Amino acid sequence: MAAKEDISITRISKDIINQLAVVIRNAQIHAPNNVAVLTAVDKFTSMINPLLSDSRETFTLELLGEFFYVNDMRISYPMEYLLNFAFLISEFKKRKMGGMKITGPLNSEDMQIFLKAFISSALSYDPFKTLSDGILDIKQLDVTSPQKIKEDKADIGEESNIRKQVKKTYFNAVSYTKGFMNKLSSGETINIKKAKRIVESMVDLILHEEELLLGMTAIKNYDEYTYHHSVNVSILSVAFGQRLGLSRNALTELGLVALFHDTGKVEVPPETLNKPSELNENDWVVMKKHPFWGAKTILKLKGLDNISLRSAIVAFEHHLNYDMSGYPKVSPPFEPDFFSKIVSLADGYDAMTSARVYLRIPTAPNDAISAMVKGAGTQYDPVLVKFFATMVGALPVGSLVLLDTKEFGIVFKSNTVLSNRPIVLILVDSSGNKIKGLMADLAEKDNNGKYLRTPIKTLDPNKYNIDLAEYLLFEGI
Amino acid sequence: METSSEDVRIAKDLVQVFIKAKKTLKLYPDNNPIYAKTLDNIHAMFVDFFNYKNELTLKIKQNDIFFGSEQVYHNPGKDNNLALFFFKDGLRELSFKKGLSKEELENFLKIIALDFDREAVDDDIVTLLWEKDFKSIKYLADEAFLLEEEDYEIKALTEIKNKAPDVDMILKAYTDSFSAKDIRDISTADLTDRDIQLLINEKTKDIADKTGKLLQILFEMLSLAENTTELEDVIHAFNAIILYAIKYRDFSVFVNIIKKTKEAAENPSTPDNIKHHLKLLLSIVNSEEIIKQVGGMLDSEEKTDENILDEYLGLLGKNAVTGFISVLGTQESIHGRKKIINILIRLGKTDISVFAAGLKDPRWYVVRNIIYILSQIGDNKAVEYLLPMAKHTDAKVRKELANAFGDFKNPASIRILKDYLNDADAMVRKAAVKALSGMGVETVKGIIIAAITEKNFSDRSLDEKREFFQALSCWNNTDTVAFLVNLLQKKSFLNLLQDAESKACAAYALGLLGNKDALPALYKLRDSKNSLLRDYVSAAIKKIEYGS
Repeated sequence: MAAKEDISITRISKDIINQLAVVIRNAQIHAPNNVAVLTAVDKFTSMINPLLSDSRETFTLELLGEFFYVNDMRISYPMEYLLNFAFLISEFKKRKMGGMKITGPLNSEDMQIFLKAFISSALSYDPFKTLSDGILDIKQLDVTSPQKIKEDKADIGEESNIRKQVKKTYFNAVSYTKGFMNKLSSGETINIKKAKRIVESMVDLILHEEELLLGMTAIKNYDEYTYHHSVNVSILSVAFGQRLGLSRNALTELGLVALFHDTGKVEVPPETLNKPSELNENDWVVMKKHPFWGAKTILKLKGLDNISLRSAIVAFEHHLNYDMSGYPKVSPPFEPDFFSKIVSLADGYDAMTSARVYLRIPTAPNDAISAMVKGAGTQYDPVLVKFFATMVGALPVGSLVLLDTKEFGIVFKSNTVLSNRPIVLILVDSSGNKIKGLMADLAEKDNNGKYLRTPIKTLDPNKYNIDLAEYLLFEGI
Repeated sequence: METSSEDVRIAKDLVQVFIKAKKTLKLYPDNNPIYAKTLDNIHAMFVDFFNYKNELTLKIKQNDIFFGSEQVYHNPGKDNNLALFFFKDGLRELSFKKGLSKEELENFLKIIALDFDREAVDDDIVTLLWEKDFKSIKYLADEAFLLEEEDYEIKALTEIKNKAPDVDMILKAYTDSFSAKDIRDISTADLTDRDIQLLINEKTKDIADKTGKLLQILFEMLSLAENTTELEDVIHAFNAIILYAIKYRDFSVFVNIIKKTKEAAENPSTPDNIKHHLKLLLSIVNSEEIIKQVGGMLDSEEKTDENILDEYLGLLGKNAVTGFISVLGTQESIHGRKKIINILIRLGKTDISVFAAGLKDPRWYVVRNIIYILSQIGDNKAVEYLLPMAKHTDAKVRKELANAFGDFKNPASIRILKDYLNDADAMVRKAAVKALSGMGVETVKGIIIAAITEKNFSDRSLDEKREFFQALSCWNNTDTVAFLVNLLQKKSFLNLLQDAESKACAAYALGLLGNKDALPALYKLRDSKNSLLRDYVSAAIKKIEYGS
């Protein structure tokens, strides 16, 4: 198929995927011949069939990770489609379905057969087989399993390379931030072009390997807290922005402003910033000036542009709460900027879950999320906090979990659809022996459709001297 | 990848056409046929290549470009080095894939045609390629140069390893986990349609222009500043946002910032020290830097909202005149110049002395425009600035002066205009006679009659003569008619041709006056042998008899 046609298919694909979700949702509620189902099916076929009028054309829908691909192109979706996309991803995963291939126009009868097989497969012991057997009569429709996709798309070597790339990008970003802050302190010229390049790499990784880069933010035992924190906030913000449907270029902008959000800390005296004990009232007076200093410092950089303008706004507002408490004190009416609200969530989460000089034992990731959900409507925007909690998941990377198999491990990679079924690195087997290298996907089921492993208890890794870096950085490669 | 000699030749050709295209796209606008032809040719070359290959990959070295293992470009110099141009920003590989559209190719060529050294490009070539997110052009970039510290990754990882606890407490954690808390569902799946809608509303509200938002923050920062240095830094930021707004945003955004700053400066509740700084800051609107930007905007094809322009003018002080005079000389369009002239007419009303320096401008067209502005303002004091200009070396300036003096109607003006009747340039002489006639003063009539009766009047061109007689027709009374009739009847023995021209012009003036007493004298000449005189007389008779 010609590239131009590919592009037009990509454009309409988000609507087709959304409509497929609508069809399936309706079919789960109503009988297949119900008018709501029939109308939805008609709309779906009228969208997809024109693309398949030529016998050489194919519509291949694949699920890779948490994203749909049509004819090998990743499909981004507008915010209003988020629920339907998430629903369809979860329905595909329930059936261990990796995708579907449509090679010719579908009629209403074909769709009735497909829907019947699709609905009934959910209750089957082997949902994928039930589904593929159920649609054998539809010649122009086929379903594929995720295993096949895995074989086709990613081998172990590639995974290892990607991990290396993720680490490289992460440390490049920290190195840049360190240089940036030091240069600011000494009044040297700042190179924003470099920052853009770094954030672009992070955006690419978030778009394709979100969990891996997010995993890097879970490792908190670094000496240089401020630099790692800035990078973590940037990564969390970009990942969050991606969930909110921001464009690629808007994500870069968001990543940059998040990277610079704590710029004002260069003016906080080191003895306060690195104070080994808890900050006293006077220290806090100084610390609370950093948003003001941040905005001021950014605005003093050579010439204003859109990035510096937004960075100054976010630097000033990132400690302002939803209910206008927080700092600095501002006069009403005042509403924080959209990016400030995003960065504030990322900042709050990373700060809570990080050890600082004066806070040796940080909050456990799942407790941090709970605390943030409690702060909805006062500290945080109530809608955004929901989205954020969904992204980080019930069991964020770095959480320690006990499974119903009496195995014990550390959450290695989150599952954005089934948030309580992440990938876990097993550290202790069911007999209580330490082991190495067993990775368990908690979304996996046995032949009877029962989950192989289910997390039942969680506890705080910080209380047990657990070196997350050892497991997340070195173990994974 | 297997490469044939034919592939290598095509790769070499493509690199060469890229170099040519870099120049062509810089030189020609996209609607130029040469531009279109260049693009078509390169696209056709790719289409040919993709008929039998799926991809063309170029590897970039500092001074070389390779296709497979074959060098297809080499340039050891620093100037116009395509390899170096890509290499310096970290670009190491460029791949063009089958299906490359003309649109993508054009966007790619536009990027490489940018002059990164001269143009104010905020991004490097890799960022520009990244932002375009091409479907059929892929690249590999080396990010090593982004590192601020060599081997940072290795150092950080070593440090982490060294910091690792000697003995972790995994097994203790394992034991404790049986009595640990149950996994609480953080309810991550309860996003509703309403949440989505609220989020969409939030995103919609998130407008691109953040200048208003930053302005609000700057006002907050003013009250948060704790010492003079901080206050000055905030004021510096105000300055920067004003410049940013006028350079990159809508004019209305800029005007709004100034208005709000002015309001704050005049608000009684604003502390005096802040007021002082804000007032100082507001003087920026009168600065040449800002006015230059405004001038550029008015010179462009963009439509200006007159109400906003009005608001803006209300914010300016008389100091702004100098800036606008400077801009006046750089406007390229007629509409841009007119707008600046109108602004200056408005600004200069309170104090015309601000134009004095502008009259000394070396550019004749600036001086001419200022003279026009002064005449439009209509303040008689302007004459004292204009009088010393009377002998300006440029005739176009003197012509404008003649027009201006005509407006002022005072003895000094009349004296200059009288002198201008004998100016070396006909254009000035004609403007002077017109200006004099417009004054309608009786003494002026005498000056014109004196000029007409001067011996050398006959040396003037027919056109100029007619101008004098037309001027005379502004005084419609018996004396004027008598003078003209007398002239018609006068006999001349000298230059018959020139005498006929003067008489023809007198007839023309009588026609304009429409006085029937002149008809007998005109009848006598309607059969004149001189065709010019005959035509003018006939026309005058017709005008007097029929009014047309």
